[in-house]
Amino acid sequence: MNETFANAKVIHTLPWNSDMVFAVAFIGNDKVAAANRRGDILVWNLPATGDKSPDPVRRLAGHTRAINCLLLSPDGKTLISAGNDLTVKFWDAALTTGEPGQVVLNDGFVRKDQGGTMGLKKVSGPPPPVTANVVVQKPLRELTGHKDWIWGLALSPDGKTLVTGDDSSEVIVWDTQTGAQRHRWKVKLWVRALDISPDGKTVVTAENFPQLKFKETDAGVRGWDVQTGELKFDVSEQLKLGMAAVRFSGDGKHLAICQGNIDREGEAGKVFLLDPKTGKTLRELKPPHFRGATDLVFHPDGQHLFTSGRDRLVKIWRLSDGQLVRDLGEQSKGQSEPLYAISITPDGKLLAAADGTGQILIYSLT
Amino acid sequence: MDPDQQSATCNLRHHISRRSLLKGMVVTAGGMAVANWGALFHSQTIAAEAKRTGKRCIMLYMEGGVSQIDTFDMKPGRPTAGEFRPMPTNVPGIQVCEFLPNIARHADKLGIIRSMRTKTPDHGPGGYYMHTGYHPSERFPHPEAGAMIAKYCENPESELPSFVKIGSGSGIYGAGYLGPQYDPFVLGDDGKLPGFASPSVPPEIQERRGELLSFMEQQFAEQRPGRPFASHRTAELRTIRLMRARQAFDVSGEWEKAKDRYGDSQFGRGCFTALKLVEAGVSFVEVGHRGHDTHMNNFPISKALYSTMDPAWGSLLDDLTERGLLDDTLVVWTSEFGRTPAINVRAGRDHFGRAWTVVLAGGGIKGGQYYGSTDRDGFEVAENPVSEADYLATIYKAMGVDHRAKHYLGTRPIWATEEGSRPIKELLG
Repeated sequence: MNETFANAKVIHTLPWNSDMVFAVAFIGNDKVAAANRRGDILVWNLPATGDKSPDPVRRLAGHTRAINCLLLSPDGKTLISAGNDLTVKFWDAALTTGEPGQVVLNDGFVRKDQGGTMGLKKVSGPPPPVTANVVVQKPLRELTGHKDWIWGLALSPDGKTLVTGDDSSEVIVWDTQTGAQRHRWKVKLWVRALDISPDGKTVVTAENFPQLKFKETDAGVRGWDVQTGELKFDVSEQLKLGMAAVRFSGDGKHLAICQGNIDREGEAGKVFLLDPKTGKTLRELKPPHFRGATDLVFHPDGQHLFTSGRDRLVKIWRLSDGQLVRDLGEQSKGQSEPLYAISITPDGKLLAAADGTGQILIYSLT
Repeated sequence: MDPDQQSATCNLRHHISRRSLLKGMVVTAGGMAVANWGALFHSQTIAAEAKRTGKRCIMLYMEGGVSQIDTFDMKPGRPTAGEFRPMPTNVPGIQVCEFLPNIARHADKLGIIRSMRTKTPDHGPGGYYMHTGYHPSERFPHPEAGAMIAKYCENPESELPSFVKIGSGSGIYGAGYLGPQYDPFVLGDDGKLPGFASPSVPPEIQERRGELLSFMEQQFAEQRPGRPFASHRTAELRTIRLMRARQAFDVSGEWEKAKDRYGDSQFGRGCFTALKLVEAGVSFVEVGHRGHDTHMNNFPISKALYSTMDPAWGSLLDDLTERGLLDDTLVVWTSEFGRTPAINVRAGRDHFGRAWTVVLAGGGIKGGQYYGSTDRDGFEVAENPVSEADYLATIYKAMGVDHRAKHYLGTRPIWATEEGSRPIKELLG
């Protein structure tokens, strides 16, 4: 892999401007799934570089409200999603059959910023429909233990333990195979994001109470014992920021977290590397994103961290020294369309970024 | 109060009691009265009417512009619907946001005006408009509703201020031509008194000091009848009286028992303080709820906002009902404007004045009904548009205040609400 990612560029733009796309996950190295605010999941088969941007081929139907989280199981066989309908749903990631159906890729309202004042720019009627034929698939099963919006979803590397967290401050540890709840406990604030350590022993929660005017008491970062739910560390006092995403590296050597639960003015997208055992801040990665970071993912090479932001940038960071390798995209410091989520293929060659206008951008990283 | 500002409905030479003198009334040889923080220029007729009605008002002001589509004018199934769903209430046919379960219990008390059409989508002018009924560009010192209600509904015998604001985030628009005695007394966001309200000497000494000050300043006032002196004197007297009555603001003991119901938040405590103040006789209390200007992340932020707003508002209605105060206490839920039906790319809603919602309850309002409606996506009023002036006229009418009461600034007449304003008779009992 080229360490500078100098040749990285957008190779496909997948249009889906029905609504904001909040989550994205690759299925293998040649398929990508994305989930939007309406509760739809679409899957695209990605052609070789240079070909025309493809239409979606599958629609995963079942969620009834916004989907906040989407991930693929380590064996690549199961897609797992969760969101505001209080459910966690499991989908066959490889299935290609289903009921024939059609999706309209541009229904509803064109989303554009209205300048913050008048709100009179009612978008004209929907443009002529752009449709795609798909197969419609149902979930394999669902988990229903939450009573509030789910923002935290993580799977242990062996795929046996699923952890979820919600706005009622509830964290649930599930047995993935049986769907049984092994354990549940209350954290202090609403769960905005969480992850489980590769050794399966620690859950880190990024907690918040989302308000325009930030108060230090409205955010927290805590580590919990997966078996007992006991607090292992609390670094809220040190970080004092509303976080958007938290993630362990696959080898367990790194724990990364980024600020951005709410869109805020200025350099409000700080990125930190924490000690995976204690949560202590080891390094702040600079410069931060403007208006907030939204997601982060470790590259499979084990050497790089990628973050996305409301400034429409994807930042590539070198883990060894914390230096910024490069930015992908054009930076916007104003009120532009944010990037909400990113994902990288297992082979590290493609990156997907989902944005506020409903596009999924596919970057080649090679 | 400026000597050239007077109410056409009030007589300047009305009764002067010893008590009112003790409360700071200063009457000049020429019969001119200066401020006494609420009791002056108050005709016997109006005072008697205020005692008769005993009307009070609590305004819950959602600072920043509150979303109508996410609360009381939901559009399920439409592209503008957002992420919240409606839930049933105790009135068939009325639905509210799923995150307002405590308000849903009180729908039979709510008059929900879904057809506000207001003229400015900017915070400052919008706040001024919704508090006064007039556009700020007129360069005329209009009083905000709290001052007008204080003037006509206050208990002149009360030691308490007649107009209290809990938090100043919604703006301080003042008493305008009604004079400084009707200016709001502003508490902290949590309803706690400012530091100056704690006296440094015993109350009896403080009172004697006030009397002596009144005596000494009498001659001075006769020679200097302008507003600066009146305002200065008013501030002094307000402070002295506040020190006497400050225990009414101390809800800390009862709050410990109430906070589980109201929610342990600034707004919760503010609503509970408002309850205690109207119970003690304050005519108008405004409680601000910050943070509704959700240009971004509208749904998680609004959900968090409603988690503090709903239990406080619901418990306030519970307690007013249980104490037999709701019939005489108008509870207004309002803002400077609404928010756009369309959701922007930052998952936010922007400012919107063309079709939005305010809610009235108690104070004789006929509850359990909608007034007005919007089109299917919420972009336009479909029926019965309501202006800022109509809205305030409805509040004044419910409070027993003539919405067309005429006052004068010099020789210029000015009315409580502008010409053409109409109270919504369908909501008034």
